[in-house]
Amino acid sequence: MSQSPSSRRLVVKDLYKTFTTSNGVLPVIDNISFEVSPGEVVTIVGASGSGKTTLLRMIAGLETPDRGSLTLNGHAIIEPGPERAMIFQHFGLMPWLSVLQNVVFGLKTLSISPAEKLERAHEAIGRVGLKGFEDFHPKHLSGGMQQRVGIARALAVRPSVLLCDEPFAAVDAMTRLLMQTDLLGIVTEQHATALLVTHDIEEALYLGDRVLVFSSRPARLIEEIPVRIPKPRKPEIRTSSEFQALRAKVWRLLQEHTK
Amino acid sequence: MTAVADDAAPRRTRPATGTRAISAGILAVILIAWEIAGQAQYVNPFFFSWPSAILQASWKLIANGALAQNLVVTAYAYLVGVFAAIIVGSALGLAMGWWKTFGDIIDPYVVFFSAMPRIALFPILLMVFGISDLSRIIIVFIGVVFPIIFNAYIGAKQTPRLLIDAARVFGYGTNQLFMNVVFPAALPYLIAGVRTGVTLGMIMVVVAEFFGGSSGLGQNIAQSAQLYKTPELYAWLLFTSLLAVVLVKGADRFERWAMRWA
Ligand SMILES: Nc1ncnc2c1ncn2[C@@H]1O[C@H](COP(=O)(O)OP(=O)(O)OP(=O)(O)O)[C@@H](O)[C@H]1O
Ligand SMILES: [Mg+2]
Repeated sequence: MSQSPSSRRLVVKDLYKTFTTSNGVLPVIDNISFEVSPGEVVTIVGASGSGKTTLLRMIAGLETPDRGSLTLNGHAIIEPGPERAMIFQHFGLMPWLSVLQNVVFGLKTLSISPAEKLERAHEAIGRVGLKGFEDFHPKHLSGGMQQRVGIARALAVRPSVLLCDEPFAAVDAMTRLLMQTDLLGIVTEQHATALLVTHDIEEALYLGDRVLVFSSRPARLIEEIPVRIPKPRKPEIRTSSEFQALRAKVWRLLQEHTK
Repeated sequence: MTAVADDAAPRRTRPATGTRAISAGILAVILIAWEIAGQAQYVNPFFFSWPSAILQASWKLIANGALAQNLVVTAYAYLVGVFAAIIVGSALGLAMGWWKTFGDIIDPYVVFFSAMPRIALFPILLMVFGISDLSRIIIVFIGVVFPIIFNAYIGAKQTPRLLIDAARVFGYGTNQLFMNVVFPAALPYLIAGVRTGVTLGMIMVVVAEFFGGSSGLGQNIAQSAQLYKTPELYAWLLFTSLLAVVLVKGADRFERWAMRWA
């Protein structure tokens, strides 16, 4: 792994976030710090409702932290920017736009020519295996296909940081396996940094260079677990004893820190 | 990777050919019974007339240009009133949905005027503007604008937050967000409002014409009734109904076309 200067990193430092609701103040993120280097894939596991989506939303610039700092390449993150793209847990596709238009939608604010936008969109659609569905509207696609449109929309931007919120939750097991491997390939190829949230421990270990284990709400970082299995990884590694040992460890940590 | 797309379910199924024939059959039976009853004077010809007499009267009104002349008068007030209501209503409703504070301030007024029986305003309007094209246009406008405001307001307000967030992640600013997310998300509601408005506008313009003037479909219905020109009364009623059907069907078509992605 190449050691890059810390200015090329995503740095999350002493982050706090609460939501004020009618039932009072809800602490969601409790003093979380970690760093992600360029090209690294970091995965996050944690109980449902712990605050994982909230963390990604803050890094995307959709939400402001109460305290702490978020920097990318040395610059504070205060609003969304084209160097970060997000794949949403619930897709977030525009129902009135076709698959192609939805992918182009993500490129709208980039200063590239319309021809290049189309070219990039077609390329991304091919990548996620939706060639032939360009003119379909989301309603006429399965959940997994819709999620792939969401992935294509994010990839087409060619972000340096890809924020993935349970990108495979809506996909059947077989397709998930294929898409996980695809996403790994794409991320490596585009030299992107990926931060991927998942409920699935195996997925976290299979995709991640490191796994961040979060407690249940308010989310605290319990442990960072490096996954020292060389990449590219084959699906078969999941049965290796090394992988299974890591899996047991993450499972135990989650159990201990989930209320 | 195999990908399977669900078949698009048709939004509205066409009636089977047989049912159309039955509808037509029932109509034929009613018309024939009416004709016989009318000619044999089983019903009071003063009030009810009968199909062949009505058709004759209709044909006369078409041939002598009376229909065309009056249609133009009615269509003018209708179209100007409805278009103005669509433009003003959409703009106001969308603005209310987009700027929450503005919406909260205006909302009680919209609720009040939507609930109010607006026909009750006619005497005041006629008093202020007299019997004129302008007063009829304003009556149509007032009748139509509230459902459009209301729908545009709800439509803009219900824009899913997820869609707004998705657009923001991809760098959309305020104006782009409005044009590319809020407006299209509100469009189905807006179109439903326009559909209601198109039908309501027809009622408004005819009622407005009842109150006075010398021409227009509504005025002819009123005059024929006053003068007991029964076949003509029915002929004007027939024209008005056919026009309403054309408008409703047209609005339906437009809605289906605009909503083909849903
Ligand atoms: N805008 C908001 N206002 C108030 N509370 C919120 C808001 N967004 C999230 N929350 C609350 O914050 C907590 C964390 O939510 P978040 O969506 O980040 O969880 P998560 O870890 O992504 O859960 P899941 O795994 O189920 O997706 C939840 O209790 C949620 O109800
Ligand atoms: Mg979540």
